[in-house]
Amino acid sequence: MSRILRTTVLIVFGVIWLLPVYLLLVNAAKSPLTFTSTTSWVPTDFSLFGNMAEALQLSGLGDSVLSTLLYALVSPAIAVLVGAAAGFAIVALRLKHGFAWFVVIFGGTVFPLQMVLLPLFDGYSRVGLFDTQFGMILIYTAISIPFSAFVMRNFFTGVAHNVFEAAVLDGATTWRIFIRLYLPMASSALVAIFILQATFVWNDLLLGLTLSQSDDVRPIVTTLAGMQSTYGGAQLSTVLAAGVLVSLPTVVLFLFTQKFFARGLALGQY
Amino acid sequence: MASRGSQYQWSARGFIAPGVILVAVLLYLPLLWTTFLSFTEYNGLGDPDWIGLGNFAEMFEDPGFIGSLLNTLLWVVGTLLIPVGIGLALALLTWNLPGGVWLRVPFLIPYALSGIGVGLIWSFILSSNGALDQALGAFGITETPRWLVDAPLNTVVMIIAAAWQGVGVNALLFTIGLNSIPKEPLEAARVDGATGGRLFTSILWPMLRPLTAVVVGLSIVASLKTFDIVLSMTKGGPGRVSETLALTMYKETFVNSDYGLGSAIAVFLTIVTMIAAILYLREQLSKKHEI
Amino acid sequence: MNSRRTKFGAGAAALAASAMLLAACSGGGAADSGETTGTLDFYTNKAAWEPDFDELNGASEASVDISLNTTGYSDADQYDAFIKQSFRTSKSPGLFTWQTGSSLTELVDEGLIAETTDIWSNAVDEGWVTEDLRETYTVDGKQYCVPMNIAYWVMYYNTKIFEEQGIEVPTTWEELDAVAEKLTSAGVTPYYQTSTLFTFQWFQQMVAGTDPELYEGLSTGEVKYTDPEIVDIMNLWLEQQEAGWFSDAGSTVDPAVGLKQGDYAMINFGSFFNGSLDGAGMVSGEDYDMFVIPKTNADLERTPVAVESGPLCVAENSSQKALGLAYSEWWMSDEAQTAWSEARGDVAFNPKATVADPMLAELGSTVASDDYLVYDRYFEATPTPILTVALEQFGAFIANPGDPMPFLETIQAEADKYWADQE
Repeated sequence: MSRILRTTVLIVFGVIWLLPVYLLLVNAAKSPLTFTSTTSWVPTDFSLFGNMAEALQLSGLGDSVLSTLLYALVSPAIAVLVGAAAGFAIVALRLKHGFAWFVVIFGGTVFPLQMVLLPLFDGYSRVGLFDTQFGMILIYTAISIPFSAFVMRNFFTGVAHNVFEAAVLDGATTWRIFIRLYLPMASSALVAIFILQATFVWNDLLLGLTLSQSDDVRPIVTTLAGMQSTYGGAQLSTVLAAGVLVSLPTVVLFLFTQKFFARGLALGQY
Repeated sequence: MASRGSQYQWSARGFIAPGVILVAVLLYLPLLWTTFLSFTEYNGLGDPDWIGLGNFAEMFEDPGFIGSLLNTLLWVVGTLLIPVGIGLALALLTWNLPGGVWLRVPFLIPYALSGIGVGLIWSFILSSNGALDQALGAFGITETPRWLVDAPLNTVVMIIAAAWQGVGVNALLFTIGLNSIPKEPLEAARVDGATGGRLFTSILWPMLRPLTAVVVGLSIVASLKTFDIVLSMTKGGPGRVSETLALTMYKETFVNSDYGLGSAIAVFLTIVTMIAAILYLREQLSKKHEI
Repeated sequence: MNSRRTKFGAGAAALAASAMLLAACSGGGAADSGETTGTLDFYTNKAAWEPDFDELNGASEASVDISLNTTGYSDADQYDAFIKQSFRTSKSPGLFTWQTGSSLTELVDEGLIAETTDIWSNAVDEGWVTEDLRETYTVDGKQYCVPMNIAYWVMYYNTKIFEEQGIEVPTTWEELDAVAEKLTSAGVTPYYQTSTLFTFQWFQQMVAGTDPELYEGLSTGEVKYTDPEIVDIMNLWLEQQEAGWFSDAGSTVDPAVGLKQGDYAMINFGSFFNGSLDGAGMVSGEDYDMFVIPKTNADLERTPVAVESGPLCVAENSSQKALGLAYSEWWMSDEAQTAWSEARGDVAFNPKATVADPMLAELGSTVASDDYLVYDRYFEATPTPILTVALEQFGAFIANPGDPMPFLETIQAEADKYWADQE
């Protein structure tokens, strides 16, 4: 397909894809006092910052931003490395029963998270991990590992095994091969996993709700989610504004990391 | 003859251990408790009473459970068609295209948005006389279906809403796959005159297989446990017509405090997902070795 | 332990202490520290009220030297599961919100809730609460928990629409029907309805309004959902549906916004709805008002009004049990309730408290008169498994109104199962 046609198709679909985002922004900017649902597409006024301020005040954020940032950066970073190590063990080091071990790790993602919440709460409160930042980092890491291991394992299968053998002939240790050869080679996959998992952690509601209570441990979305309920609280446009506000860091993260995907990875050179 | 890799077994165990240990302790241990509960009668208070397979029998007798199972299958099929298909198309369209990276951004933004905003904005769009109806009205279309009320339409529109959020991720993963394809075979194929469809079927599709396995595997798993979007948009209703298995499980456990029945549904769901994932991945693996 | 008691409620603390010793059999939890001042950990499913609870801390610190450390949960179902699970751990809550009805009975039966009989006796003596309300908090002759909030289910209406159409507030069921007809012919939808969660109001209203004993019978299993009286009421509802009296079930517009923009003229909702309407920019008494829905059966002596009351409870095995009970005792006082009404803007259960919003103050005193009969809301009056099915079936009926029998039969099947298990 010609370049122009491809670009045109992408632009048209891109615009369609952004329409709900447009609706989100326009309606998040409406004052709750004059809000109506009959003119969804038309911007009526601009109270976005007022609504955001209202959301911040209602949910008493602040403390939770820093802790959420900590979880969203540390846990996916560890998970990416642990997952890459697992993929490396299975593919490059040809771990015996590699597929079975892979299934064990991947199996961590197949059941609905809601089912482990209560036992986790019970266990956490018994061993003193409940309502601690360490406990939150631990669970977010564990929950991010299966996805990371899955992607990395499959990514490494695309790497010819003689890359590994050549490095061994050069006298490199497995650790060194992993750190110096395989990780750099996989940088775009690592970054992709990191941003996807960081976004997941940043937006998590369930685990935060169950395993924490203090303002300085609870993640941000957990704090925000309580704003709107049947029993009063924030209006729709305030909640939408809150949604926009908490989405800003992840949107920026996505934009910022785009350059990692700009250059094609010439794996053939290895 | 010992295989070449066997000398690295201890090293390999060391590399895989952290992942296995973290997942086992934090995810499997709690799951064991759930599995135990599925054989008991338990209301969250006091102690569970062992009732054997009673919960599983009750589960299959419930017509609502069957409906929920069918909806879940619809989710699996829909998710494989829409987000996976569009994701692949996007990756191919942006591949090697100047500015392609930035043209992909609109599709990634929905994933970056917080779930708080997404559920609300789609309810807002699909409400009767909501944003979609208003837009259609501007084109003179006033007779619109009740998007979130009539089954199976409500499940279909929710699949589309979920696809809206998930397509970018799939496109990203496919892009990584495309970018990791070695240059030489591609060039050779191009020199042979392969373009478009033939290039795709002969070179790209087989080479994409490792990442296709990831996208399809994850989509199957994720669609089988569809939950959040249904809870926020229809709560499984009206009645139970848009319920998914994960939602049925949630309702039994958290709303009705029937932990045994909820756990039984969770165990059933886990087994189905596990079988689907293993069957699919095994097949993918065997094909991979033929390349 | 007795020496550490505050001036307030000597009897309650002594009773709490002895009850604690007797209840040593229940597992989990931690020993009661016995402290009656300090910071009390408080869990609530009404997360939106967190700022209001924080605001109240000034008054409680000044009066009884207790302040709440509030943790709000946004999902009511997960909240329930979390609380139940926490009784098994050292996090057993010193103070938490709960529901009356079968949810409360369930916890009391397991010996998990601290008794509050003394606090109630004192409050009744002081004239802080009515005997009627005490009933709601009684299990097997003893009281548990104290009321956090109270809400009456009434009819909100858009005053502008009523004025435009020249409509007076109806005082009988016939007048209400006439209002609905007049609005419909003028092209205005009379009533709001939704097909998810809050699907029960109109059923509850018409059953209780026809015969409070019939309503009571549904909650005890003596009346079947398939009994002719219930079927007649459902058929009446069906006629009203077919006459176009109810709003589009597919609309997800926030009810407060819907009333504001005139999607419908009236909403049957709990009196906590004032907060949402105010938040949507409507002015109390000017843009919206409310009336108590007339009885369906004119022969009834008193007009039934649905009441919803959310309890504040103390866990029997909490390390903060004494502290939680001390706060509960203070909470009942007119001083606390006046402060709470200022913070929250709600109907007060304590007749001696001053209610900030005149509309709610009036509602409170109206319903307290002898012409009205207060009954428990369907949500609390119905055992949970039956409730879940009933909410779904009413939702399905609202989405696709038709012959009510299949819906009622489905509910009754669950009810049969439930009552059979209870024997």
